[in-house]
Amino acid sequence: MKRKRPSAAVIRKNIWKNRDMYLMIFPVTVYYLIIHYWAMGWLAISFYDYKLLKGFAGSKFVGLQNFEKFVTGLNFGTVIVNTLLLNFYTLIFFFPMPIIFALLLNEIKSTKYKKFVQTVSYMPHFLSAVVVVSILNVVLSPSVGFVNGFLKTLGMDSVYFMGDAKYFRGVYVMSSIWQETGWSAIIYISALSGIDQSLYEAARIDGAGKLRQIWHVSLPGIRETIILLLIMRIGNMVNLTFEKPYLMQNALNTSVSEVLSTYTYKIGMVRGNYSQATAIGLFSSLVSLIFVLSANYLSSKVTDTSLF
Amino acid sequence: MKTIPAHQGKKHSRETAGEKVFNVADIVIMLIVCVIILIPMLNVVSVSMSDDKYVAAAQVSFWPRGLNFKAYETVLQSNKLLRSFLNTVFVTICSCVCSLTMTCLAAYPLAYGKFYGKRIYSLMILLTMWFSGGMIPTYMVINKLGLINSLASLIIVPLIMAYYVVVLRAFFASIPVSLIESARIDGAGEFQILWSVVIPLSKAALATTGLWTIVARWNEFLNPILYLKDYRKYTMQIVLRDIVLASSASQYDIDMESTALGEQVRNATIVVTMLPVLVVYPFLQKHFVKGVMLGAVKG
Repeated sequence: MKRKRPSAAVIRKNIWKNRDMYLMIFPVTVYYLIIHYWAMGWLAISFYDYKLLKGFAGSKFVGLQNFEKFVTGLNFGTVIVNTLLLNFYTLIFFFPMPIIFALLLNEIKSTKYKKFVQTVSYMPHFLSAVVVVSILNVVLSPSVGFVNGFLKTLGMDSVYFMGDAKYFRGVYVMSSIWQETGWSAIIYISALSGIDQSLYEAARIDGAGKLRQIWHVSLPGIRETIILLLIMRIGNMVNLTFEKPYLMQNALNTSVSEVLSTYTYKIGMVRGNYSQATAIGLFSSLVSLIFVLSANYLSSKVTDTSLF
Repeated sequence: MKTIPAHQGKKHSRETAGEKVFNVADIVIMLIVCVIILIPMLNVVSVSMSDDKYVAAAQVSFWPRGLNFKAYETVLQSNKLLRSFLNTVFVTICSCVCSLTMTCLAAYPLAYGKFYGKRIYSLMILLTMWFSGGMIPTYMVINKLGLINSLASLIIVPLIMAYYVVVLRAFFASIPVSLIESARIDGAGEFQILWSVVIPLSKAALATTGLWTIVARWNEFLNPILYLKDYRKYTMQIVLRDIVLASSASQYDIDMESTALGEQVRNATIVVTMLPVLVVYPFLQKHFVKGVMLGAVKG
């Protein structure tokens, strides 16, 4: 059924009636147009050989040349593989941790102890990337760090964890586990608290031990949450925050630590090639958009609750 | 009200041997987890307060040896570092106030408005959750606005987060509409309703988004290194990076080489940077956590 188009007078009346609303959305709209949509307009420089001093008029239009240069460039494979691998290891090793943690925490009886464990385990989440990487550098230092001090007392050689490319991914994922396991468990903890407690009692009467109760009652109870978060995680396979890889990067480990975000920064802000960097940025956000949209589609199929 | 689940309350009577073993093991595992989480932070604090002869031999673990505060004296003597600290405090407070105000203004019309253009307005905000200009285009905008090397850039760029708008709108929408309607009938304007009806009822959600903003601004690193060009504008995260990761403390007038305090100074800077957030966090934990579940209420 088609609605009748309201007359101009009605529209005018509605706008006047809602003048407060328009006053509210005015600053918000200005902010979005300038900071977000004007910025999207600047994506156009990825099709130019843009020179900051000359502006658009003085810069040459080059079509897809910047994209071509990136995709066929020497670093393309390395950067993509590094980004995907870092995310893949995070998926394999990090993803199960909050689930296990939430399941074990759920079985703690003393509310006080539970609260204490929660407070402690959420804490690292509030540390900045710079603080975490600084702590890593200090604690893992080959000369004065306590980890190597410990290795030495065991009669082992000290290891330069932060300088050796082969330890980069391990340190990256382990520190993520250290920092985010507790916080990421919140959503599982709340899902677990929603499970009908009589199910546990029934399982007990049937002679199920604690582990079987977890397997047959707790896990199925949070199944949907797990699947949703798993899909979301896979949807973010191409995204990698800039800060941690950039801060952990040094001359010795660039072969494994150069990811899409750090590469964009290097090309744009260090080498000053804004057009090339914007092309790389646009490429990664388009690929990640495809991933996220497919993930959202998939999750709506699986659970009939869309993520957004 | 006790929050102990029913099945656990009943268990006192007959707990099987297997369950006892499990429960003890569970308590021990959780204790180990806590220790692993606390150890690196304790170590940093301990080293910052220890004497050089123990530090150099990597003999400091979880408590200070040869307790002294010389590193803190060195760090806090630097006027440049203090200036960065104040910059960070300034940006954090301004950002919190401005962001909360703007997020309320953004969310209120979405929750209660019936005006022409609402759909496109809503789309304009939500679209940025999926797609954005990214690092370099945003840099270009800030450059054109003449905000390079200004602390205002750190407040303006993340002024409104679409996600917080969604959270606040969901929260606003849970307030009974009758309250809004009756205020309207009493002749109150929308700004008045927002200020005296909606905001007082949304303290929990505002506390959460406000605290998230504070932590995000305090911890931010990308925007400062993109937009700030000289040390007078630097925030603590950049200072920390320079001192610990780039070992260039001299630009902050901190002498690490001759005092034999290099390692302690590094650790003391970490402590100074992380302490404000960690001191506040335990008292406000419930607000931080509540927000995670607020976000789960899909808009």
